[in-house]
Amino acid sequence: MEQTDKILEVEDLTVVYNTDAGTVHAVNGVSFSINKKETIGLVGETGAGKTTTALSIMQLLPERTGRITAGSVKYRGEELLTKSKAEMRLIRGECISMIFQDPMTALNPLMTVGEQIYESLDIHNERKKSPKELEARVDELLELVGIPARRKTNYPHEFSGGMKQRIVIAIALACEPLLLIADEPTTALDVTIQAQVLNLIEELKEKLSTSMIMITHDLGVVAQTCDKVAVMYAGEIVEYGTLEEVFDRSRPHHPYTIGLFDAIPSLTEERKRLKPIEGLMPDPANLPEGCHFHPRCHQCLEKCRSGAVYRYEEGTHIIKCNRMEKGVQDGRVD
Amino acid sequence: MEELIRAVDLKKYFKLSKTEYLHAVDGVHFSIKKGQTLGVVGESGCGKSTLGRVLIGLIEATSGQIQYEGTDLLKLRPAQKKEYHKKMQIIFQDPYSSLNPRLSVFQLIAEPLISNKVYKTKGELVDRVGYLMEKVGLDQRFINAYPHEMDGGRRQRVGIARALALNPEFVVCDEPVSALDVSIQAQIINLLQDMQEEMGLSYMFITHDLSVVRHMSDEIMVMYLGQCVEKAPAYELFKNPMHPYTKALLAAIPQPVLGARGKKEIIRGEVSNPINPPKGCRFASRCQHCCDRCTQEDVMLKEVENAHEVACVLYK
Repeated sequence: MEQTDKILEVEDLTVVYNTDAGTVHAVNGVSFSINKKETIGLVGETGAGKTTTALSIMQLLPERTGRITAGSVKYRGEELLTKSKAEMRLIRGECISMIFQDPMTALNPLMTVGEQIYESLDIHNERKKSPKELEARVDELLELVGIPARRKTNYPHEFSGGMKQRIVIAIALACEPLLLIADEPTTALDVTIQAQVLNLIEELKEKLSTSMIMITHDLGVVAQTCDKVAVMYAGEIVEYGTLEEVFDRSRPHHPYTIGLFDAIPSLTEERKRLKPIEGLMPDPANLPEGCHFHPRCHQCLEKCRSGAVYRYEEGTHIIKCNRMEKGVQDGRVD
Repeated sequence: MEELIRAVDLKKYFKLSKTEYLHAVDGVHFSIKKGQTLGVVGESGCGKSTLGRVLIGLIEATSGQIQYEGTDLLKLRPAQKKEYHKKMQIIFQDPYSSLNPRLSVFQLIAEPLISNKVYKTKGELVDRVGYLMEKVGLDQRFINAYPHEMDGGRRQRVGIARALALNPEFVVCDEPVSALDVSIQAQIINLLQDMQEEMGLSYMFITHDLSVVRHMSDEIMVMYLGQCVEKAPAYELFKNPMHPYTKALLAAIPQPVLGARGKKEIIRGEVSNPINPPKGCRFASRCQHCCDRCTQEDVMLKEVENAHEVACVLYK
């Protein structure tokens, strides 16, 4: 991969939610970076902190409860966390935009889809284009995502799920942002429609040179779309590397990554029984000491139960696991 | 192996207006042997859930036959039907909405036992609920918990305990793991397999996830707009998919392996309207092999190879 400028750098991001049940540690020291045109996948199960990470970058955390307590988020070298609300409003949509999981609820049911695309163009209309020019851009965007422009006067309920997601994508790409955050963009869609939407995203990324954060729980979607992968568990990135590094099974991996791969039934090989990861995701208000994964880990060591966790680093491949420390044991597991 | 259930030309049309009928299930044939699993796959709106519900009597069939060990259930009187319906249970997709939030785990699992009066004393009921909880791997400390206090995996275990309470012979599993995280999904799939082995259950396993259906099923039926387009033993279907829709479905699944990066060949368009569908193959409008014959005549399911049935003019 050619060396290109960094679009986004997230450093040691820590987010808590203050709730009645106590302080929920949703994201605990997450760091990653994205270069131009690159796609990074954030993978993990419910409650891993994927969406919270995305909302923190956009600064869309629920105001009363969510709080970023440490870290930095830099967009092309510029710190976002110290920006005012008005400044952030200009960045959202224009520089960074987001595709949400559920296209059924992401659109306003009372506005035509044309109006909704127009709205985002109008807000970021720095060059003071005339309404007519903006209207023409709406048509162009709809055609771009494969919807006939004449349908811009339709309301969201008149479209199928796949088409609604195309409209959401059109809105997100309206101002040609440099970074697109896609939060489970195809989870609510059928497989054949999912394949169409993933192809569309890939095509548009290519055309507009957009970088992307792909949030998903589906390792198949990651394999198809991402350059880099961050596996998240209990608010932490437990494994980070290029797609090849994380998906190559002959390399050492975090036990959670191995567990995720083993838990999915395979389309190609025969397996009598699945190997589930025993136990449940820990309560984020009450995270276990030491390695957060240790209560579910088959290879838990005494030292995993408390204290800091060893950080293995080889090139771009990072694994947070005590097993990886030299002298403990080879991290390779079958 | 003995046959447990056979469906013959089963149809369910929902009447929308005087002239409009939604063809949810449109002439489906299949049989399930004792202790075996029939997987039903298809995308949303293909009629797979309706089929499951028609089968166990939650929705009345429009026409056709459902034979349970040779008896046609659709011809029975309600009282006789009830006896059969005890043997046929269902596990629902969403453990968040299929459990009554006002009932505790004990009440939820006891409910089918109480309404069918299968226990004599209170002690017997408590024992039976305790036994069922242990069976499905639910800790006894949850006995007085309410659904909102439990995670999705545990809730689905309650749903399974309810379905197994009356010692059924046949269980319809309607997307039982779709709402769960992968690590929990594997736990539930293993539990369902254990229960099948232990109790000799027959399953109809409905899902949109082809890798799950391959893992669970002996035989698989692929549905498109209310009709079965292909039916074959699980192994055979994945090794040798024939119908263009089955092929497209298989190609559309993103595989968690290296080398899958980039754009894929995909089918265009979306599922067409199931209201008063036109004659001919329902997949024709999206099919790249579509010819005149596909739209002129109805395409029937034919056995092309041993136990491998396809509804497509490409195969003679």
